[in-house]
This record gives sequence, structure tokens and C-alpha cells, in this order.
Amino acid sequence: MTDSVKPRVFLVDDHELIRSGIRAEIAGSVDIVGEADEVEAAIEMIQERTPDVVLLDVHMPDGGGQAVLRAVLEHDTTTRFLALSVSDASTDVISVIRAGARGYVTKNISGPDLVDAIYRIAAGDVVFSPRLAGFVLDAFSTGTDDQPAVTVDPDLDQLTARERQVLRLIARGYSYKDIAKELTISTKTVESHVSSVLRKLQLSSRYQLSHWASERHLN
Amino acid sequence: MLTKGERMSITTSSHAVVGTPLRPLRRGRDNAILGGVCGGFATRLGIKERNIRVIFALLTLVFGLGILLYMTFWLVLTRSGEESSIIQRIFQNRREARFVLIAFIATLILIIALETTGTGASDGFGWPLLLSAFAAFAVWRGASTDERIHLTDFFNTTPVIGGAFSKSRKGILVRILLGAALVYFGLHTLNHIGGFWGQTGSAIFGTAVLVVGVLVLFAPWWLQNVRELTSERRERVRIEERASMVAHLHDSVLQTLTLIERAAANQSDVVRLARNQERELRQWLFSPDTVTNASTSFVGLVGAIEHDVENDYGVRVELVTVGDCVPDDRVTALVAAGREAAINAAKWSEAASVSIFTEVEPASISVFVRDRGVGFDLDAISADRQGIALSIRQRMSNLGGEAFINTAVGSGTEVQLVMPRSQ
Repeated sequence: MTDSVKPRVFLVDDHELIRSGIRAEIAGSVDIVGEADEVEAAIEMIQERTPDVVLLDVHMPDGGGQAVLRAVLEHDTTTRFLALSVSDASTDVISVIRAGARGYVTKNISGPDLVDAIYRIAAGDVVFSPRLAGFVLDAFSTGTDDQPAVTVDPDLDQLTARERQVLRLIARGYSYKDIAKELTISTKTVESHVSSVLRKLQLSSRYQLSHWASERHLN
Repeated sequence: MLTKGERMSITTSSHAVVGTPLRPLRRGRDNAILGGVCGGFATRLGIKERNIRVIFALLTLVFGLGILLYMTFWLVLTRSGEESSIIQRIFQNRREARFVLIAFIATLILIIALETTGTGASDGFGWPLLLSAFAAFAVWRGASTDERIHLTDFFNTTPVIGGAFSKSRKGILVRILLGAALVYFGLHTLNHIGGFWGQTGSAIFGTAVLVVGVLVLFAPWWLQNVRELTSERRERVRIEERASMVAHLHDSVLQTLTLIERAAANQSDVVRLARNQERELRQWLFSPDTVTNASTSFVGLVGAIEHDVENDYGVRVELVTVGDCVPDDRVTALVAAGREAAINAAKWSEAASVSIFTEVEPASISVFVRDRGVGFDLDAISADRQGIALSIRQRMSNLGGEAFINTAVGSGTEVQLVMPRSQ
């Protein structure tokens, strides 16, 4: 990690304490190019400084992380977002991923894990926490008797058996390396499965997903 | 109201003992059926409530006089134990007074209109009944909260009326029958006066015009009143919700913060307290149903494992659940085995955290308990470790489930439990 270029990171959170805590934990390993405590300032500064990775708080006044995501990604799709939250509500997690974040971790993540996640996001990977994997499995479940799954586009609305397997292993606490070993595939293949899950998550019009989105006035 | 005669006093009479001085005339409270007027007279005069009630019932036969008198007394007399009469209370409140006064004028207009057209008043019952209806309205507006509760109870427990106010199927049936009977008798009476297409037709027309007129006059003001009541109620609900939220935060978060301040010297205690509170608050915010229904939900049961292991062993538990179901014998056994596995991991693995993943599928339920700790040699240890053999393997196989244990020294442990679902 030391010889590779440090990713340029931008911090968005409306709580000063959280920002300083995160800064203290990651400052040595990444290049922090700025921080903002409100939506409008964040949008302007991100567009100006074009960081590699934005650590984005989900809950903020004036639209929260989703407002930042939409405004920035409208003009510039090279900036990658990692959502940070204290929330566990599946609606929050799924909505922020659908708005364009490439990963989701909770704020009690350890410093080294957060740095690792930032490097992976910067490299173009997707970061799924076990909890997010659980939510996704739930959202793409084959449906129950009282609520059968309605699929419009099977390519987007369903997960393949392999993707499901990978998500289950993530939910069980396996790292990508562990998963590759368990399924006897390469780490790169694991990553591509996860990326394809992310794509489905963002593009699918599956009922459960669009229902969540419309609940949050995203459409 | 007309049932006063038959509905005998259900309370022990509290009327005066002969020879004691006369008591003030107050409406009864303990011996009241409706407004307590008869009870009041009984107490005052030292006569049995029943006799008074019979007198009122008989008076009712004379142009409805009994009812009118009853309602007047109800308005004018102070209820025993209260400060003021209903009419006084109404006039103490300007808005209420205006409200009732307008209703009174509306009643008078209606009576005059009916008198002049000669409808309904012909047998003399019309105006006393209308005035009584107005009085009943005034009573409802001016009654104290306590009396209102008494009246609500009374109407809810009265066989026919109570049923008509409920929203059940039976209530609707009662309402329809009652309404149909009234419509039938009304038409019948009108027809009796003089041929349906003769005077009756114009009488009905006149009444309709009158009703529309009254509606046009009073509807906006009535609606506004109803709206005010609704917004008042909404405000009250909001305040109550806020109060319960404040109570919850006080009982949980504030207490924990105090505990954390006191335990500041002991790092592991602080972490445990904070983590505990975090979990509780999360559950309260994001999945309130599992909090209240820990016994009726698989996820609720697994959540209890998370809670207990974190509390007892100070090890962080990462719990991820997919799907939920109602617990039965198999689910209970599965959860018990999972709990044993999680406790083993917390006790022996030396890892800082344990991952639990559960998935409910149509045919089976799986539970995975994983740690990245020291691991162990399964063959060497299984003979003397009862935990794995009994609590996990046997529990599962007894009910048709399976348990796999993946472990090696230095590479952590994963326990996989799969239980088929009962069909």
C-alpha cells in the first residue's frame, strides 16, 4: 500500500466530532483533500477538488448524502462514493446505493478496515458490509407466499446462483480472499460478481427496490 | 329515556333516612342511570328512586312533559360533587354559550316552522320532543368529563343503542333495522294525516326545504367546529407521542450515559454499556416489532443471542438476518444450538467479534456462526467437550437438522447449522 499513490479523500459529515475522529484514523494512510459539513458546500467543493473517494454521511439536513450523490454524479462520474452511516435501516442503505454510492459501511468500522475500504473503492471495487449483503439478499429474495416476487427484467431483477453464494459468504463474515478460496475462484471473479450485484441493485426496477426508492422520493 | 320506568335502580339507594333534615337538591351520582335527576329527587325527598322514575314516565305520556321536565332539571341542577350546573358551565364559556344559543335558535325556528305547517305538532308531542333533543345536545356540550364518561359507558352498554354505535357487522345490522323501522313509521304517520300525494307530499317538500335551509345556515359553522375538535385531538396525540419518546430516551439513553460517566475508568465496561445501548436504540428505531415480539419471531430470538453474548462475554456480535418466520420446536432447537456455538466462539476463540448470519428459506433455515479466532483441532477435543457434541450436534440431529464445524488451529471456526422447516 505504501508504494501506491495515496487516494485523495474528501469527508462529508455534519458532525464535527465524527469528522475529526475519522480524520485521526485515516490521515496517515490517505490524502485528505477537504471536508464539508453541509450539502451545498460539499457539492461545490467536491466538484472543485475532484477527489478519488468521498466519504459520505447518509443523514444530513437538506437532503442528506443522496442530495450530494445526485448533484455530483450528474456532471462527473469519476468520483466514487463510500457511504458512512450509523443507521441500520434497510431503506437508507438501499436508497443510498441506488443513488450511486459504491459501498456502505457503518461508522463503528475500525480504522484499518475503513482505510482498506477506501483503497478498494479507489481501485474501482465495491465494498459490501455483511449487513448490506443481508439487505440485498432480502431485497432479491425469491418472495414468500403472501408476497411473491414480481420480475420484469430477469437479467436485472434476479441474482444468479453464484452471486447469491458470494453474498451469503459476505454476510457470513468472509473476506473476498476467503470467498475466493471457498468457491475456488479468483479474487477478481469475486469482485466482478459483487460489481454485477451492485449494477443490478442500481438499475433493477424490482418491486422491493423501487418501492423503497419511491418511499424516499427518489424517483 | 323512555326505559327509565323499567330499568330499575342498579345501585343501593342512598336516599335520606326519615327524620333527617332535607338535603340540597343535587343530581345523583351513585344512583344515577342517565342524568341522575330521579336519583336526586329521591335523595332529597327520601323516596325510592323507582317511584320518582314511574312518575316521570307517567308524565311523559302527557305530551312528553316528563321528558321535557327531566331534561330541564338535567340542565339546571348541579350534579352531586360538582361545582356548577351544566347550564352555568355553558354560560361560563363564551364560545360554548354562542354555540348552544345558535342551536337553541335553530330549534325554535324548526318548531315554529312545524307549528305553522301543522306537521308533527298535531298530536302535541312535537315541540316538547324537539326541545328535549336540544336539551340533550346542550347537556352533551356542557357535561363535565366525568359525566361524559358515565354517559358514554351508559350508551355503550345499552343493548340496542350501544350496538348501533359500534362498527361491527352486528352494529350495522341493528342500525339498518332501526333506521328502516323509523322511516317506515314516519311515512306511515304522514300517510295517516291525509293521503300521501295530498298534504303529505307538500309536508315532505316543506320539511326538505327546511332541512336544506338549516344546513345552509349552520353547516359551515358546524364543520368549523368539528375541524377545531379534530385538530385539537391531533395536537393531543402528538404531545402524547412526544411524551412517550421522551420517557423512552430518559429510561434508556440518559441512564446509560450516566452509567458510562461513572464507569469512565474501566474501558471494557464503557464499551459494553455503549454497545448495549446502541443495540437497544437501533432496535427501537428500526425494527420495533421484533422488540415487542421476541417470542413470536425467529429474528427476535436470534437478536437475544446477540444481546446475551455481547453482555456476558464482551465480544462484539455482527448479526445479519435474511427473512423471518414464526418459531416452532425446530426453530427453538436451532436457535439454542446457534446460541451454544456463539457462546463457544466468544469463550474460546479469543477473537474480538463473532459473525452470525441467518437465512430463512422456503425449505430450510440456516444459521452460520463464524469467528476469526484461534480455532481448534476437532478430533482432539470432541471427546471431552460436551458443548459441541450434545448442545449442538445432538440438538440438531434430533429434529432432522445437521451441523457442520469447519475449523483448524489458527484459522478460526465456523459452525454451520441447517434445519429443515416443518411443513
